Amino acid sequence: MASVITEQEKLIGKGIKRKEDPRLITGTATYVDDMQLPGMHHACIVRSPYAAANIKSIDIKAALETPGVVAVYTGAAVKDVGPVPCGASLPGLRVPHHHILAQDRVYFVGHPVAVVVATDRYIARDGADLVEVDYDVLPAVADPEKALADGAPAVHPQWPDNVAFNFHQENGEVEKVFAEAEVVVKQRITSQRLIPSSMETRAVLAEYRSGEKALTIYSSSQIPHLLRTLVAGMLGVPEHKLRVVVPEVGGGFGSKLNVYAEEALMGWIAMKTGKPVKWIESRRENFLTTIHGRGHVDYYEIAAKKDGTITGIRLKLIQDLGAYHQLLTPAIPTLSVLMMPGLYRCQTICADIVGVFTNCVPTDAYRGAGRPEATHGIERMVDMLAAELKMDAAELRLKNFIQPGEFPFASATGLTYDSGDYAKPLKKALDIVNYMGLREQQRKARAEGRWMGIGMSTYGEICAFGPSPATPAGGWESASVRIEPSGKITVHTGVSPHGQGEETTFSQIVADELGVDFNDVVVLHGDTAIVQYGIGTFGSRGTAVGGTALYFALQELKAKIKRFGAMLLDTDSVVYEEGRCACRKTGNSVSLAEIAGASYRAMKLPPGTEPGMMATYFWEPPNFTFPFGAHIVVTEVDKETGVVTIQRYVAVDDCGKILNPLIVAGQVHGGVAQGIGQSLYEHGIYDDNGQLLTGEFMDYAIPKITMMPWIESEHTETPSPVNPLGVKGVGEAGTIGCSPAVVNSVVDALSPLGVRHLDMPLSPEKIWKVLQGGQA
Amino acid sequence: MIAHPFDYLTPKSLPEALLLLADPDAKALAGGMSLIPMMKLRLAAPAKLVDLRGVPGLTSISEESGRLKIGALATHFDIESSRLVRAKCPLLAMAAAHIGDVQVRNMGTIGGSIAHADPAADYPAALQALEATISIAGVGGTRAVSAAEFFVDTFTTAVGPGELVVEVSVPVEAAGTGTSYQKCLQPASGFAIVGVAARLQAVSGNISMARIGVTGLSGCSFRANGVEALLESGSDPQAAAAAIANGIDANSDIHASAEYRLHLARVYAAKAIRAALAAAR
Amino acid sequence: MKVTGSHLVPLDRARVYSMLQDPEVLAACMPGCEKLEKSGEDSYTMKMKMALAAISGQFDGKVSITDQNPPGSFRLLVEGTSKIGFMKGGGLLTLTTEGDATCVAYEGDVQVGGTLAAVGQRLIDATSKMMIKRFFEKLIAVQP
Repeated sequence: MASVITEQEKLIGKGIKRKEDPRLITGTATYVDDMQLPGMHHACIVRSPYAAANIKSIDIKAALETPGVVAVYTGAAVKDVGPVPCGASLPGLRVPHHHILAQDRVYFVGHPVAVVVATDRYIARDGADLVEVDYDVLPAVADPEKALADGAPAVHPQWPDNVAFNFHQENGEVEKVFAEAEVVVKQRITSQRLIPSSMETRAVLAEYRSGEKALTIYSSSQIPHLLRTLVAGMLGVPEHKLRVVVPEVGGGFGSKLNVYAEEALMGWIAMKTGKPVKWIESRRENFLTTIHGRGHVDYYEIAAKKDGTITGIRLKLIQDLGAYHQLLTPAIPTLSVLMMPGLYRCQTICADIVGVFTNCVPTDAYRGAGRPEATHGIERMVDMLAAELKMDAAELRLKNFIQPGEFPFASATGLTYDSGDYAKPLKKALDIVNYMGLREQQRKARAEGRWMGIGMSTYGEICAFGPSPATPAGGWESASVRIEPSGKITVHTGVSPHGQGEETTFSQIVADELGVDFNDVVVLHGDTAIVQYGIGTFGSRGTAVGGTALYFALQELKAKIKRFGAMLLDTDSVVYEEGRCACRKTGNSVSLAEIAGASYRAMKLPPGTEPGMMATYFWEPPNFTFPFGAHIVVTEVDKETGVVTIQRYVAVDDCGKILNPLIVAGQVHGGVAQGIGQSLYEHGIYDDNGQLLTGEFMDYAIPKITMMPWIESEHTETPSPVNPLGVKGVGEAGTIGCSPAVVNSVVDALSPLGVRHLDMPLSPEKIWKVLQGGQA
Repeated sequence: MIAHPFDYLTPKSLPEALLLLADPDAKALAGGMSLIPMMKLRLAAPAKLVDLRGVPGLTSISEESGRLKIGALATHFDIESSRLVRAKCPLLAMAAAHIGDVQVRNMGTIGGSIAHADPAADYPAALQALEATISIAGVGGTRAVSAAEFFVDTFTTAVGPGELVVEVSVPVEAAGTGTSYQKCLQPASGFAIVGVAARLQAVSGNISMARIGVTGLSGCSFRANGVEALLESGSDPQAAAAAIANGIDANSDIHASAEYRLHLARVYAAKAIRAALAAAR
Repeated sequence: MKVTGSHLVPLDRARVYSMLQDPEVLAACMPGCEKLEKSGEDSYTMKMKMALAAISGQFDGKVSITDQNPPGSFRLLVEGTSKIGFMKGGGLLTLTTEGDATCVAYEGDVQVGGTLAAVGQRLIDATSKMMIKRFFEKLIAVQP
């Protein structure tokens, strides 16, 4: 007897606990550092303490003489290894040759200069201390605006202006709109450098089997297949002889959507020495050398009519790129430009990006990647416009929203927004907080001399990256589903979950589509030897693109199941329900396990049908998806100390159809935590000499649980027409919606003092100074 | 994050520990909350680590002739959760509860913390206000110093080479004494940007005794004698608190400028004094 | 990071000035200085052992004195590198007479890099001030 599954018992939409969690919370998951291979060596990297210097000499003699040190390599040894790749292409982009070890010059603090290979990790570290590097220290520049100034030190001597690229995009009659505008509001807005801080740092283990001439690289990555293709190219290893395995990954937030020097370097060492070699990034190295996020200085102008209609948006965006381009470094600010009109109908935009080299670690994708910066900008500008026009911030937004009847909507930046009802989450959030009541409360608070603020953001995002023509390396995703002879189900997905819970959501999809037990499904990923080519997990794409590929693979498989079922039941018409094929006429049925068994036994095959029970699908999405939502934040500013307290946090997110509310809630909570981090605490600070002043958790403040408000998380569900699941993605929503709502709230609190803008993070001292001077 | 090689020694008695610590290359290990991270960064590289956790008798908390005697190896959690400390010397329990996070409080010890003498640690403010006595053992015997003498400067204490903090003694609070520790915490490290401990004896609102300990503000914890005198001469708490910053060369860093720290010191002094007064009632 | 401050030395200005130019005095007063050797006109190489809390490091460095304007002012630059990072401190020292004593005011910059910079920005200010304080305490103590 098959269990009877009714429509109500479908798993999609249910808050099922994550399959992944027991192994994660009991410490029984396998990360790269848990892996031990026979004869394995350990590597320790010697890094520059200076942001800019010429390398005069490197003395490796003492290190080499240390018992247990196997080899020491410097830049000269690896000069022919291909450069660390930049996947972004922009017209006129200047791409510095990014060697995996510095050649004759270092460009940022942490720049790898040499590598010591030893029989254990301790000896490798001791050996690294014995490598003597003689530097000729050069002037450095760490601030993008200072780097653009005349006479600034050149990060790369061949490009004295420090400009990596200029990018321009416009739509509509910009000059005319601004000339004729009834009101124009201008503001410089920064989005500070952030340090992604995943719980697991980077980790690489490489093994070379000389007999097979096969290299295996284990890495904590978000993109196993792209890593394989790109590292194969760097090392000159034929792609089919390189296997990349991504075991458990302790978070990435975009920082592992990359190809790093160390990944190629460990592969090179394994081939050179013939022994496996492991490198585990220390937390200190993670701060200094794993990509940072954000790093914007934005000059915004917004034009409007007196009635509040937004008529134009102009942006000059200065992006701090750091010293090199990592995989997507120059592309990130272009995403900000794409998102710059937000949820508003405005069709006139003009954006100019200047990508600037600095003597800092490169910036790249960090949770939200370009969209938090854009959302922060437009949402701050809309609030400033509301203040200028003395309009209510919610009313101004509602007036400018794209309306439900206007989808698909062609944005000013060339996107096609899929679906939306932007007023819905805003109105829901306003209801939840009792907005009118709150404003009344605020009036009372102000009368009592308390600085209470109410701030909102209505955000939109570009998710489910994405259609292949719009991405550097293909935007499709793949899935294969195999029903084993016993009826158990193995899914191979091309995405590479590292905390997103897709082993659970994908099992839910399979369970519902095939009517099988959730526990009979295993979802495998992250091994290029067993999974068909895939793209990876980033840009809120895992479920929207990877889940859709799985959905289509399941449809193909169901057709095959039915062909076998019809054959076994000796009929030409069957239905597949609740894990069984049934003939309506006879009432006879056969289970999925029986069908799978028969497909492998293959005593008889349906006409034109292969044995076995497997389907693979590569899905190319026709468009991005466009989630949206509204966050409202109530804050109070302590008049004495400047400390901001978040008193209420309401998030109403519309991520399309919700497959698992528990996982969605987790994504919103985590996203909001990182948004609050940026709003109030986090700031990657370099001094003028390019030293990272926040190079440890003693100085870089990520929010702890005691610093988090209660998050009231609600949803509206507007299905995406882009995929049959109707999902849009939620991985980055919390981060994107958060920071403008927090800052708008604090600015609102201090508006009686004439404050109209504050840059993040809103540190107590910054606020206190405002309270002292009465001006921002 | 890999330490230099070192020898790990586990003495089983105090004399044995002191003997091992006579070696200038040896360093005492208690909870390791400051020392181990420094070693992992290779900023500290002692050739020998003398782990005191096997030395008996250093974790007890007891009451003896009007004072609480706290063993140097009592953890911050032991202290914050001790019924005895909470009832008889709540200020010390409060300061302990403000340290780091639960994991740190479960490992870190009072002796280790004060011997390290981080200028922004929480205990020194409380110990200054409590006029605590700290027992320091050496091969020649044990001596006792007052908190004021103990904390000399940034990371500098009265503990000499080869010596060990073995006990902290604090008074059992008399009836009518109110205490409070108020701290502005640095969000990254959890250390105090400023922390003020207030200990007052008051009869119907009149302060007869005031002891104010300050941490985080400058290079070393200190007693704010000026504030104490003002409070004892009937000055209003707010006005007295304002004197806390007089003549102080305040620290400045990326988390708080000297100017802001001085301001916070005044604010937190007033908070601590008000709370201590309320508790004294 | 900017450092400013002043210390009172109970000696007359000319004497304090000349002491501060004397490599033997400097060597005796700089915390942890183990060796100071002349390497040129008013410049010296230095070996220094830093020991503070649990931190210890062997620094190789340079000391140079410039812009001498006796007995009123001069610039002092001290830099050192070690396995645990580097530090560089320099600034203008101004000497003024205060009664029988001399006030030495300093205004300069301290720069710390490498791992040393990771221990906590919060400690650099307090530590620099303490080092300077110790220097002046020793200066007073070494006077014959």
